[in-house]
Amino acid sequence: MKDSLWKIFKKGIIDENPIFVLALSLCPALAVTSSVQTSLTMGLSVMFVISMNNAVVSLTRKLVNPKVRVPVYITSIATIVTLVQLMLQAYAPALYQALGIYLALIVVFAIILARAEVFASKNKVIPSFLDGLGMGAGFCIALLAIGVVRELFGNGTILGFTVFGSWYNPALIMILPAGGFILIGYMVAGVKMYLTNKEKKLAERGEA
Amino acid sequence: MSAEHNDSSSSILKIALNLTATCFISGVIIAGTYFFTAPVAAQKVIEIKQNTMKALVPQADSFKEIEGKKSWYAAEKGGEIVAYVVPGESKGYGGTIQMLVAVGKDGKVINYSVTKHNETPGLGDKATKSPFKDQFEGKSSANLVVTKDPSDKNDIQAMTGATISSRAFTKAVKQAVDEVVEFEGGK
Repeated sequence: MKDSLWKIFKKGIIDENPIFVLALSLCPALAVTSSVQTSLTMGLSVMFVISMNNAVVSLTRKLVNPKVRVPVYITSIATIVTLVQLMLQAYAPALYQALGIYLALIVVFAIILARAEVFASKNKVIPSFLDGLGMGAGFCIALLAIGVVRELFGNGTILGFTVFGSWYNPALIMILPAGGFILIGYMVAGVKMYLTNKEKKLAERGEA
Repeated sequence: MSAEHNDSSSSILKIALNLTATCFISGVIIAGTYFFTAPVAAQKVIEIKQNTMKALVPQADSFKEIEGKKSWYAAEKGGEIVAYVVPGESKGYGGTIQMLVAVGKDGKVINYSVTKHNETPGLGDKATKSPFKDQFEGKSSANLVVTKDPSDKNDIQAMTGATISSRAFTKAVKQAVDEVVEFEGGK
């Protein structure tokens, strides 16, 4: 049982990574990843929302009429996102401003609704929570990876600290959406290569 | 037939109740949180404004709102006005830019702090930090002009790849300076 719970958590990180494999929620992944700080905040917010929402959906799965399940999920997501917004506004106004409209857009993230529908509505609370946590962690790691590369090459800094000296002439394209797109493309290709390789090895081992 | 009808109507009632209950619970939770966070948020806004002004004019010990001028503050030290903190606004590349500009009594820029902007991250938003920001200190209205000539040391050097943003920020500062000069002259 423990082993399978771990598997539920782990699959979101690489095998079914929301950005690199499922290719969901790419728009915000581009919009907020021009610096590490915003990437991380966005990633953590999504991680929180998706795991909380999975828990709520799973808890209420027997009470909610299947005909209206989607509106109920949306209401639940919207409530949790609003809570996050209110909290950030009160305790971290600078971050709240940096995330701007993208924070509110978490409500319509395909990945959150998808996990509620595919997983949480059919499973018990703990696996659902872990599934959300794993997916959220995958999302967070993906955003962080994109954010680190973009800020490093586009601005020569990480988390605002200068990494490259003044001799470095920042590649502006990395900060702009176009650079984000190109980068995500390469990263998707990289993850795909890794997964194909892994599958091949598994198949070989299975045959041998 | 009639049984079926009954069934579906009861299910519609159930569905409606289901949705109503969901929205009600969600409303209660949000209202409850808002009740606690709203005062904190309002407090933070005031605190941030005071801190911003303090950072702009470090030598001042108090900030008083000027009567007749909306959101104008006089930075005072020992009861004497040393500078003015006034709002500046202009239209940038991505929308309205709002800032607080600290202007000395002599009409020279001390510093500014951007409160709201929508410029491109990594390009236009560099106007909120040094080195672009440092250029403004000590400049009077006549030198608040954007230039692309690197040898021109008197004016404001445009940021690479963000000329529109550079112009917009400079314009907002210049406007604030002009207003202060007018206000000082009219006293």
